[in-house]
Amino acid sequence: MNLSVPNIVILIVIGLLGVGAYALLTVRNLIKVVVALQIMVKAAMLALVLAGRLQGQENLGQSLALTVIVADTIVAVVGLALAVEVRRVVGSLDLKALTTLRR
Amino acid sequence: MEAGFAFLLVVGIPLLGAPLIYLIGRLVERRQPGLNPARWVALLALLAAFYPLGIALQTVLNQGMPVSFSLGVIRLQMDGVGALLAALALVLGALVTLFSGPYLSREDHQEKYYALLVAMIGGMIGLGCTTDLFNLWVWFELMAIASYPLVAFHRHAPAALEAGVKYLVQSAVGSAFVLIGIALVFGQTGTLTLASIRANAPLTPVMLAAGALFLIGFGVKAALVPLHTWLPDAHSQAPSGISAMLSGVVIEAGLIALLRALGAVFAVSDLWGVFLLGFAALNMLLGNLMALRQTQVKRMLAFSSLSHMGYIVLGIGCAFAFGAPNAAAGGFFHILTHGLMKGLAFLAAGALLYALYIANGQHQPLMVDDLDGAATRYPLAAFTLSVALLGLGGIPPLAGFMSKWQIFVGGFETRQTWAMALVIFAALNSVLSLGYYAPLINRMYRHQPSKRMESGQPVSGWMNVVLLILTLGVVGLGFYPTLASWLTQPAAQSLLAALGG
Repeated sequence: MNLSVPNIVILIVIGLLGVGAYALLTVRNLIKVVVALQIMVKAAMLALVLAGRLQGQENLGQSLALTVIVADTIVAVVGLALAVEVRRVVGSLDLKALTTLRR
Repeated sequence: MEAGFAFLLVVGIPLLGAPLIYLIGRLVERRQPGLNPARWVALLALLAAFYPLGIALQTVLNQGMPVSFSLGVIRLQMDGVGALLAALALVLGALVTLFSGPYLSREDHQEKYYALLVAMIGGMIGLGCTTDLFNLWVWFELMAIASYPLVAFHRHAPAALEAGVKYLVQSAVGSAFVLIGIALVFGQTGTLTLASIRANAPLTPVMLAAGALFLIGFGVKAALVPLHTWLPDAHSQAPSGISAMLSGVVIEAGLIALLRALGAVFAVSDLWGVFLLGFAALNMLLGNLMALRQTQVKRMLAFSSLSHMGYIVLGIGCAFAFGAPNAAAGGFFHILTHGLMKGLAFLAAGALLYALYIANGQHQPLMVDDLDGAATRYPLAAFTLSVALLGLGGIPPLAGFMSKWQIFVGGFETRQTWAMALVIFAALNSVLSLGYYAPLINRMYRHQPSKRMESGQPVSGWMNVVLLILTLGVVGLGFYPTLASWLTQPAAQSLLAALGG
């Protein structure tokens, strides 16, 4: 695999996805979980921009990424708002404190 | 009114109504606390959307032509599938709004509830009508984001917060997967329009990976087992009206998003139908087995949603695998009847939960034992819950039997050994499901009332009205199932047309 720009970006996308997924599986702090989600979506965003570039439609690819930023920020805001409530009600941000519901 | 403009109104009224509901609710709350006009504004907005919906339906269903309009480069088009989803979301949404008034009367911040509910309905209507893969994701996110705070609406209860966190994290991971799938499709084909992706999808492993990502990503929202773990928590902890919406329409909307996306990459592999049938079998089995051991009523109903998702996916999977039109129509019919029956079941359980706990100022789950002798104290709620449960179990004169029957007949018409084996498996599962529906009815009618039952508060009149309307729907569709084929046949045709059949 030669190190052209698209290949480097593809490697970064896969790397970001890996970091995000690994963090989701290992991290127990709710704020860090939201961060891990954000890292995964950032990988997808980069992939969209790259796809636009490969197809010669840079404008479309970047405007898609911009839309994703908006939607994704709202998800992060809702996630953090939930984290604030969890801290207030449960008294901890640890996910282990949130295991009252059984299967 | 012209059909295209009417369609614009159907999509636009809920979307414009949502912020308006919040503003009015907030402003009036500041001047005159306790009036809560948000509920009535929400109901008005949803009812106002019915008239244009009727006009659009007339064109879509009677003339068989999709209605569409364009805003710039964004084009929305209502075909049979979109019409079915819009009609179900609006009908159930209006009834839930009416029901929630008394149910939430003790809660703060009601305007947020109604604004988010209406925004969620708007997102679902748009989701059914999109023609573009990326817009599909945007509508899907709108629906999902509106539903996260609704699940955690009882924000002082740790269990509701836990359910909300679980739901948000799993859905967000799913939507990240979908986005990567979209990037792969875009990078391969250079277009995002569903129809042109279908026309020039290259048969490459990358497209296969994109389809698999759609299956996983949308599968989380459609609660395909093993991606279902958020569902029992979210559906049991949300306010009952939201449980009805989530179970009755939202997971089905997730499935329709999945069908749209998979339809675009349909030609890439002939295994999509097999995957769907596999998920159907898993959903039916695990949903029923888990429901059997539940002690909370709403949690049991949530697990039964999993098994009903299995029946729906069985019908639609037969269409994907073997191009069976009747099985697809049966699947869509079951979406409709399941929406009504499960909506009724959750709302009737919600009415009892309200009478036994919420009206006494308590926030606890409704246990199965609490139902003892409900028929003596709450005859209407007990009767409607029984109708819903019998319908879900597939007892003949009710709606659930008719839609399951159509799926089974459609499955047999494929003349494929595996499809027929799956249909028999589904029928056995349907019998198994009576193992947890019937004891509830037995408890309500044949047990002595518990202490808690005797100290219960009366059920509000609006709740009873909503329960009666839904009961009429369930019984009516059972006696006259052809009433629904007006909606379900065009939906099946649209789906098969999207698969190039």
